[in-house]
Amino acid sequence: MGKLPMLQQMDPLALQHYLAVGGILFVIGLIGFISRRNLIVMFLCTELMFQGVAINLVAFGRYLNNDLGGQAFTIFVLVIAAAEASLALGLVVLLFRQKNTLDANAWRELKG
Amino acid sequence: MFDQYVELSYLIPLLPLIGACISGFFGAKWLKGNSHWPIWIGVGVSAFISIGLLIATISQVHSHEGVGVSAHWFNWITAGKFTAEAGAWIDPLTVVMLTVVCGIGFFITVFAAGYMKGEEGYFRFFAYLGLFIFSMTCLVMGNNFIMLYLGWEGVGLCSYLLIGYYYEKPSAREAAKKAFLVNRIGDFGFGIGIMLIFLTFGTISYFGGGVGSHTPGVIELASMPLDQLAKIPGVNIDWVPTALQWIPFCLMVGAFGKSAQFPLYVWLPDAMEGPTPVSALIHAATMVTAGVYMIARCGTLFAGNSAAMMTVAFVGAFTALFAATIALRQFDLKKVFAYSTISQLGFMFAAVGVLAPVAGVFHLVTHAFFKALLFLSSGVVMHAMLGELDLRKMSGLKRVLPKTRILMLIGCLALAGFPFFSGFFSKDEIVGAAWEHSKLLAISLLVTAFLTAYYTFRLYFRVFEGPEVIPPAPAGGHGHGHDDHGHDAGHHNHEPSLMIVPLIVLAVGALFAGFFNFPEDHLGNFLGHSPSLIRAYHVAEEHVEKGGEINPVPLGQRDLRETEIQDHEKSTERMLMVISGLISLSGIGLAYQLHLKNRPAGDALPQKFPALSNAIENKYWVDEFYDAVIVKPLWRLGQILFAIDRIVVDGLVWVVGFVPQLSGFTLKLTTQRGYLQGYAGAMALGIVVILLFVFW
Repeated sequence: MGKLPMLQQMDPLALQHYLAVGGILFVIGLIGFISRRNLIVMFLCTELMFQGVAINLVAFGRYLNNDLGGQAFTIFVLVIAAAEASLALGLVVLLFRQKNTLDANAWRELKG
Repeated sequence: MFDQYVELSYLIPLLPLIGACISGFFGAKWLKGNSHWPIWIGVGVSAFISIGLLIATISQVHSHEGVGVSAHWFNWITAGKFTAEAGAWIDPLTVVMLTVVCGIGFFITVFAAGYMKGEEGYFRFFAYLGLFIFSMTCLVMGNNFIMLYLGWEGVGLCSYLLIGYYYEKPSAREAAKKAFLVNRIGDFGFGIGIMLIFLTFGTISYFGGGVGSHTPGVIELASMPLDQLAKIPGVNIDWVPTALQWIPFCLMVGAFGKSAQFPLYVWLPDAMEGPTPVSALIHAATMVTAGVYMIARCGTLFAGNSAAMMTVAFVGAFTALFAATIALRQFDLKKVFAYSTISQLGFMFAAVGVLAPVAGVFHLVTHAFFKALLFLSSGVVMHAMLGELDLRKMSGLKRVLPKTRILMLIGCLALAGFPFFSGFFSKDEIVGAAWEHSKLLAISLLVTAFLTAYYTFRLYFRVFEGPEVIPPAPAGGHGHGHDDHGHDAGHHNHEPSLMIVPLIVLAVGALFAGFFNFPEDHLGNFLGHSPSLIRAYHVAEEHVEKGGEINPVPLGQRDLRETEIQDHEKSTERMLMVISGLISLSGIGLAYQLHLKNRPAGDALPQKFPALSNAIENKYWVDEFYDAVIVKPLWRLGQILFAIDRIVVDGLVWVVGFVPQLSGFTLKLTTQRGYLQGYAGAMALGIVVILLFVFW
């Protein structure tokens, strides 16, 4: 991995700040996922969690190793997330066509 | 010529086996009523080869001192140091046994075709019969203990199958199981004996010369002195003295089981549930004599062990007397002959026990003729009386069954030891050998001979003489299935020639078989060339020099001994011959008095000794004793084990299955309700818990 320029000592933003933002995004996503029943909202919440994790990765990559590893991983995560999003949205549309609702509890019978 | 017959020896077991396969596999659909043909041909050709082998061996004996050849068929088992070949050991003992098994076996299969005509499962009967002849020939021909064991177990299996032939009848099923289980006790000892032999001597061949073994066989090794034995590779020399103490006893248990000796005789009377030809072939003429053959064959293992020989002799003599007394108060024709068979086998054991294997084998041969004759004749009676066999219900059948009466009379005279019938000579020879060794033994055998003459003629006089009484067809007659074939109202021919002709052949044997060994010791001279018997004789002689108790009886070569001893022996022999003749006559006379001339007196006799007759009629309560002491406790133990299995083992299995089921059920009702949020929350909580565990 190519090395980035060294960080300035007096940088006002420390690692904790990035982690806090990532964590807050992740928790918002988690709470949203648990509390909402609309499939599309739940899906959006998973995307929020993804972004929280991605921020963590970039921050760690910059502050701990000071290289491009974290960013490379994030690119991967985003690509996967995009692929997954296209699939998931397709599924949501199909599920909606079946029952004419986006309520996740409409599909309880799938519990087996 | 001899070598060619030895080469052909593999055909003797093979042909009946092929016949059995043909009858068994094609009998049900295609052969049906012709299922006897493969067996007739197979056993007939085997009998032919056996007789050829006998003649070739006889001619061989004239020019050689000891005759014994190993015929290698194929390598059967090879595992490490253990090798067992399939092969035959041809010596005079083998060929005599083979001739008896195949020859008498052939005539019995001929008889059986008439007797079993129209039975359901006709093909099954003949397939089993062929399988039996195969096993029995393996037993007597095999050149090692594993072949012997194969035959031993094979005849046991066939015996089981044939006793249970009428398997719809509960009594037949029970009898078959009893025979199998009692034999199992004996075979357990026998198996242990063979394992001990292998561990001690490192081989299971009788004699050396088999393929892959350049060492001598067990029978040779057992006759070697210890210092010579130590040089043989594979022999576990430290074990030899102890093993020689125990091996005979182990083998003996097997012989007692198979040959129905006390205390394992209880299966044989019940085995009469099988069809009569089976009783004649398996439970009188051949299979039950396997024990006698085995002890004669393994003479070197027994001869040096006085305790073992004494046990054999006294158990034999005791069984002879014991079974003869039971036969006195039996009312079923076949049961009388069954106890008589046990008793006669006791004679043979007494003979091999006092180291007179020739007398034992001689009696084996004559007994095979007359007992097969008696059983088959009672089969004719049973056939004619529609399955009735109770001698209290019939009388004076000589008009209805004239030929059978004469045949039965010949058989009875031979069994009773009437002078100059075959049984007379062989029994006399055994008594003579026993007299040399122990007066007590000889006297008990003479008493048995008296009882034998009495119960045999009690049966004969009751059934064939006196006023004619033909029993009505019994309700149970159906069990033997003779009710719907050839027994319409006409009753014209009770004695079809298919059944009578084999009987005539056997009757000729019963009349003249005695002259095999009298007045010249032909059989003794012939058997005296068997390496087994020669070596056993030498072992016994050495043992006597070292203070052993049993003087071996010379193997026919009496002329070799000093004249003085010869004269002494001859006078004793003549005296015993006269005595046993008189005893037989008096037994017959007593039977005549009580069961023909004055039947009320005969009927009143048991009332005079109620306790004794009660004990005898109940067979001394031996079955009840075994039932109370062995069967019932085992049954109770089985019940307890069954309960433990049900409660503890099955309970554990049930718990193992129930716990996941219950937890699954609970989870289904509590957490896994299908709410996506619930799952997500549980997952989040789970991650929190894991993180707490990891980072706290």
